[in-house]
Amino acid sequence: MTEVDSVDQPATRETAEWQRLESEAAAAVPRPPVRPARRPRSQFDQPRFLYVVLAFVLVFLFAPIALVVVFSLNATQSLATLSGFSLRWYEQLMHDSALLSSLSLSLEIAAATTIVSVVLGTLLALGLVRGENRWTRPAQTVAVWPLLNPEIATAVGCLLFFTQFGLTLSPTTVTLAHITWAIPYVGLIMRSRIVGLDPELEDAAKDLGATDLGALRLVVLPLLWPAIIASGLLIFVMSFDDFVTSYFTVGAGVPPLPVAIYSMIKHGVTPEINAVGTLMMVLSVGSVLLALVLFRMRHPRREEAVLDLTGSGIA
Amino acid sequence: MMRRWVWRLSLIPGVAWLVVLFVLPIGFVIAVSFGTVNIVGAPVYGWHPGNYSQIFQSIYVTVFLRSLLFALATTAICILLGYPVAYFVVRFGGRYKGLLLGLVILPWFVDYLVRIYAWVSLLGDQGFLNGLLHTLGMSGSPPLRLINTPYAVIGGLTYDYLPFMILPLFAVLGQVGDSVIEAGKDLYGTPLQTFFRVTLPLSFPGLMAGCALVFLPSVGDFATAQLLGGPNSYMIGNLIDGVFEGGGYWPFGAALTALVLAVLFVPMLLYVRYALRGGAVIPG
Repeated sequence: MTEVDSVDQPATRETAEWQRLESEAAAAVPRPPVRPARRPRSQFDQPRFLYVVLAFVLVFLFAPIALVVVFSLNATQSLATLSGFSLRWYEQLMHDSALLSSLSLSLEIAAATTIVSVVLGTLLALGLVRGENRWTRPAQTVAVWPLLNPEIATAVGCLLFFTQFGLTLSPTTVTLAHITWAIPYVGLIMRSRIVGLDPELEDAAKDLGATDLGALRLVVLPLLWPAIIASGLLIFVMSFDDFVTSYFTVGAGVPPLPVAIYSMIKHGVTPEINAVGTLMMVLSVGSVLLALVLFRMRHPRREEAVLDLTGSGIA
Repeated sequence: MMRRWVWRLSLIPGVAWLVVLFVLPIGFVIAVSFGTVNIVGAPVYGWHPGNYSQIFQSIYVTVFLRSLLFALATTAICILLGYPVAYFVVRFGGRYKGLLLGLVILPWFVDYLVRIYAWVSLLGDQGFLNGLLHTLGMSGSPPLRLINTPYAVIGGLTYDYLPFMILPLFAVLGQVGDSVIEAGKDLYGTPLQTFFRVTLPLSFPGLMAGCALVFLPSVGDFATAQLLGGPNSYMIGNLIDGVFEGGGYWPFGAALTALVLAVLFVPMLLYVRYALRGGAVIPG
């Protein structure tokens, strides 16, 4: 009942009267045993252990990769003790022609995957949202299933498919397989954005004399551009980083970078991996941050942009 | 609005691609799993269920059960770590909500193999932790066995897939809203009662989605077990890898893959039921 006091009210006769009545009523009712004063509301159910878990998880997530970055600058071979600053592992990397050609191969695969999957995935998303009826349900299933399927099963399937049709395993088959998981992913991100688009904007454009295609080009696409570029950046990173699909669908010859790193780790750890890992981190994390900034542009609920970008929105 | 059938035309290229390069290949896995091979090792189709009965030899069954066990343990740890984090960020993140969520997701965008490598260099016999113990004068003559243990594999899998638990939980907890939690308290629920009778049931779809998203890829993972586990911790993925990359009998590998798909079909359906209907999240 203290709420009444806290509300700002002019001290009129009515309020004075009200307070008098209230205190009388309070006196008439037997008081419950005094409860300890409440803690301020914001801390009411904010147990300390939540901070501990959060801190633990952040350390758990960041300590190992921080170690990679720090030891990439180490002067000696050791992965256990730091002994001075040096760029020797980066230098060694710059002269490692095998690793460099793996790097450029991975960049090429990622670029091709991005271009094809962004176009097909965006079209798919537009079709699923704008053309929705019960006949598009199977299309919806096909557009989601690859995201849930264990990657190893998809990769083995592609391997069997390529051998069956006599396609020699090569960077081309890797790219084809990457595009296969990239299309549903772009579709998912773009759907979350297209669903949030106000259809009346298009109607307005048409009332102003735009044709269907004109409305698409002049209204819809400009609104979708940031999301399209963001999903492209994300796919670029995911394709560049992909190991499982590449591993199963690449033949003899230059391996993509993650496959090259896999065999390096298998044959014994060298600090050169720290250097190449750090460079990959800079590239990936940089692209993702850029994607996030773009995706947040014109996003209705900014703090949920992270969620939409990582694939929410099949509401 | 353009007429709907016009929009449906734009489905064609993407769906055609996925039918040819996803649905058909899955069909090939199943077809090859019942087949045999010709003299040059190329698959020949037929009816040979023997490829499956081969799996039920004890060594393969052990590996299969181990994969499921590792994946379950990983899922459990991800709940224990991920739920409190998602809850904290949603309810008490305040203006740092987006930042905290971003921080939790960011490591996932570091290359998968670089992340596993990070654990190799942390746990290895010559790695950072053993070095630290040595510096502190606490190491025995054989270094502490951290890598090549089941714990290293489960830890590595947790590291790989923890964000997949946090994201859907964050999405559903964000929709729970303070008002129902306040209501729980107004009805004299203790914080624990409020949590177990209000918050947890309301976040159930996100929890199910998170479990599926951690469990599904964990079962099929093989690089983590290969690099952090060694032969005694091999998972089903390592068997599949051994068949297809180690020159094994392909129909057997296809049967292993088909069995993985069959086992994971139930969690996939659960995911579709809970998450897609509930509007939750699929991180790639």
